[in-house]
Amino acid sequence: PPETRAAARARTRSRPAPVTDVAKLCVCDLLVAQCDVNCCCDPDCSPDEFSLFTTCSVPIVTGDSRLCSQKAAIYSLDVEANPPERIFQLIDQVNPSLFCIHTTNYKQALFFSSPEMPTSENFDRLLKQFGSASFSAEPDSWNMNTDAQNPSDTNETYRYEYGVPIQTADAFLRLPSPVVSSWCSDVNPAGFLINQATKCTRSVNVEKCGDIEAVSMLFYINSSILAVKFVFQVNITVQSIAVQSPNGTRTLLNDSDALRLPMVLDELCINLVLGVSYHITYTDAGEIIEAAASFVLGAINKAALSIQQSFEISFTQVNTEPVPLSGNPGYVVGLPVRAGFRPQGYPFPGEMLFNTNKYGQFTILQSTANQDCLAAQGARTPILFGYNMISGCKLRITAATKCQPLAQTLLDLLKGQSFPEYVASFGNSQAQDVLDWVPITHLHTSEQRIYNAFQSSCQIPVSLEIEVKWTKYGSLVNPQARIVSVTATIASTTWKQLPSGRERTIPVTSSVVFTDISPPAEPGYKAWPTINVKLPFDFFFPFA
Amino acid sequence: NGGHQLPSLPLQILLYVNGVYYTFYFLATLAMIVYKSQVFSYPDDFLAPDLTLLLVMAVLEALRLYLGSKGNLTEEEAPLGLSLALTAGSVLVSIYFLGWQTYVLRADVLLNAVLLFAYGLESVLKLMAIAAAVS
Repeated sequence: PPETRAAARARTRSRPAPVTDVAKLCVCDLLVAQCDVNCCCDPDCSPDEFSLFTTCSVPIVTGDSRLCSQKAAIYSLDVEANPPERIFQLIDQVNPSLFCIHTTNYKQALFFSSPEMPTSENFDRLLKQFGSASFSAEPDSWNMNTDAQNPSDTNETYRYEYGVPIQTADAFLRLPSPVVSSWCSDVNPAGFLINQATKCTRSVNVEKCGDIEAVSMLFYINSSILAVKFVFQVNITVQSIAVQSPNGTRTLLNDSDALRLPMVLDELCINLVLGVSYHITYTDAGEIIEAAASFVLGAINKAALSIQQSFEISFTQVNTEPVPLSGNPGYVVGLPVRAGFRPQGYPFPGEMLFNTNKYGQFTILQSTANQDCLAAQGARTPILFGYNMISGCKLRITAATKCQPLAQTLLDLLKGQSFPEYVASFGNSQAQDVLDWVPITHLHTSEQRIYNAFQSSCQIPVSLEIEVKWTKYGSLVNPQARIVSVTATIASTTWKQLPSGRERTIPVTSSVVFTDISPPAEPGYKAWPTINVKLPFDFFFPFA
Repeated sequence: NGGHQLPSLPLQILLYVNGVYYTFYFLATLAMIVYKSQVFSYPDDFLAPDLTLLLVMAVLEALRLYLGSKGNLTEEEAPLGLSLALTAGSVLVSIYFLGWQTYVLRADVLLNAVLLFAYGLESVLKLMAIAAAVS
């Protein structure tokens, strides 16, 4: 009802006055009209209730201790008396310091200032004084209208700065991303120098395959990016196109010049955009000079109602190569461990080769939702420094499975496609410093059951344990993490042929453990200064 | 003027001691204002009057002591009278620093009390010197 609303508004307009009288201030009095336990200053407590207290939670309430003389309220319990009673004393505390405040003529000196209550009269003034970009009425950084922008508004061509949305000819470069739910929203602008990767779901209808523009390549390379705001235009070139087949494998197409638009083929809708990866090249003057997009196209069948799209944008400065470091020089916790191979057959130690994707250099098996090892589809997760990880899957063996192919499959599963040979000891180890790389030691342990001459000696690997030993290196104040040794232990069990009709499930695990083997720190001391006193050589002249 | 009347020695001693004490007072008050501005909340429009008055007081004091000393040594009543008038101004500023500045610390109270006592004593001695000079 409107009357109570007006009354409530009137109540909120005047705030409760702060309590400054020490005799009346009681912070432990939280229950209204009831006695709070052990709260000696509570006015709701009767003498009987005081006799039940054990101690006073608030023994003293004083004013500002910097004042020369101030009132103090002291609450205490007299436990000697029977029944125990509360003693309240109001005394004057004197500050003996020479620099105590005798008087102040400035009202707000010792109090927090209460902000002004905004009313319709002073609102504009307060907004101008305290409002900033987040509260301004019109966002002046970018506008959302799809009508032609008016470039003559700002005559100066200012360069892009970090975080500024990248302008295109009509609006801004879009990076669709999930906003509230996981559905794609096309109004997320890409910010300059902000590397982003987003994944979202888009609803599709196979019937209207060619009509949905958000799944066609044209939508993403249509607009041209403005290099320096409002001046030059940079076209988005197609860098590569990969086609993903329904079972997940991707093939890179040879010709990436032809634009592939969605069309219906054999009851499938093909050439749908499943992923776009933008690579923007910029100069140090804040201009965009090149923009390239790599696409992943896929196909869906009639039953599909939505597809998942993933988008990514990365920025590279012109004439530089991005160096994926995991620390400088010591490893940073959370960054991937760098690993690579040394090419064989070189007479002299050559350069290390490693995957340019720093998250793909050293990986372990990733647990998937369906815990079946054979359906894992090669999902791997990068090994991040300092993060111990364990993952695994279950392998179902039937009577028909053979040992040798199974052992090979499991080894591939545990180690992955390209298991590295060397691991970088520092986060910034260069490829040409071969001695900075630590070789991975391989160990095999096998579980020996009762040795039976009739049992086959085929072993299947069931677990991979990677132990990374690292140490702190450098000064005591800023220690750097350095990997000293990496050991990969594969544990195998003996294969037991199952009788037909039986099934067995064995767990397969892989784990990474980081062990700190830093020796205890020994501070080094400088040598004691030596007193080097010698007489000058001609001291005893003329007697020497 | 009576040539056989000597200039007042106590007044001269007091003027000299006042000069030394005032230097100490000025530096101490300035240091305390700096301390207060760091430790307490001291907005600029409260700091400016306090600093201005301190500087004005320093100028007044120098002038006052010079005139008083000159008037005493030459036994003329005009500089002594002027010095007495300036003393009244200095007393007012000292009372301001005693009770009306933004933060009055205990040290401020002590310094200003001593200064006011010195002013009072000086004023009495100057009046006696003027009386001796006109008679």
